[in-house]
Amino acid sequence: MIMNPRLRKLMLTTHITISVGWIGAVSAYLALVVAAMTNPDVPTLRAVWIAMKLVGWLALVPLSLASLLTGIVMSLGTKWGLFRHYWVLFSLVLTLFANIILLQHMQTVTVLASLAAEMSTFDIAPLRESLGGELFHAGVGLLLLIIVQVMNVYKPRGMTAYGWRQQQA
Amino acid sequence: MSQSHSEPHNRSTDTAPGIPRWVKVSGVVVVVLIILFAILHLSGAHGPTSHMVSGEQNMTMAGGSPTP
Repeated sequence: MIMNPRLRKLMLTTHITISVGWIGAVSAYLALVVAAMTNPDVPTLRAVWIAMKLVGWLALVPLSLASLLTGIVMSLGTKWGLFRHYWVLFSLVLTLFANIILLQHMQTVTVLASLAAEMSTFDIAPLRESLGGELFHAGVGLLLLIIVQVMNVYKPRGMTAYGWRQQQA
Repeated sequence: MSQSHSEPHNRSTDTAPGIPRWVKVSGVVVVVLIILFAILHLSGAHGPTSHMVSGEQNMTMAGGSPTP
């Protein structure tokens, strides 16, 4: 079903706002990781892990799911379709991939944030050692989102076989 | 997956278009990336307990008190 122009504009605004918000949340997450990596202070390290869990569950996860959902709605509600053009297909696969990795990785963050919150004389080594992984995940995630954003703006040419058949019908 | 105001052109050709080079190259990169991540995560090398040293693995997953 093709959306009318007014609804389409509203959905596009919603989708862009959510997607850019997702990039902003990843940037905030990266800032926390860098702060913990560059600060030898133990209370800061513990606070950062707790903050990362909150940013993750309250900002990253909702925004990533909403971005995926609004992206699918936008694709299906316009002539671009979900499987007709390679750039849309790539955006879908990368967004889906980012969502799965995020949801899976948040389990790790939750466990480590719980340790950070409850330990008293506990060795902080695991919290410190895990920061490299956080930097990697958030860094790759940010790069991925930027790639999707660039693809959505430039819309490189290329129609799928399915899209071509639809066009001929 | 943002869309612009412009819609795709309705071009009509006799044969199906080939796969553009950028799709082939990006496709290989994406597939390799997904496989790498899948191996890392599914092998348990990157699970919640992978960051803990042996002593800490006695801690419960919820981060509670150490088990005896």
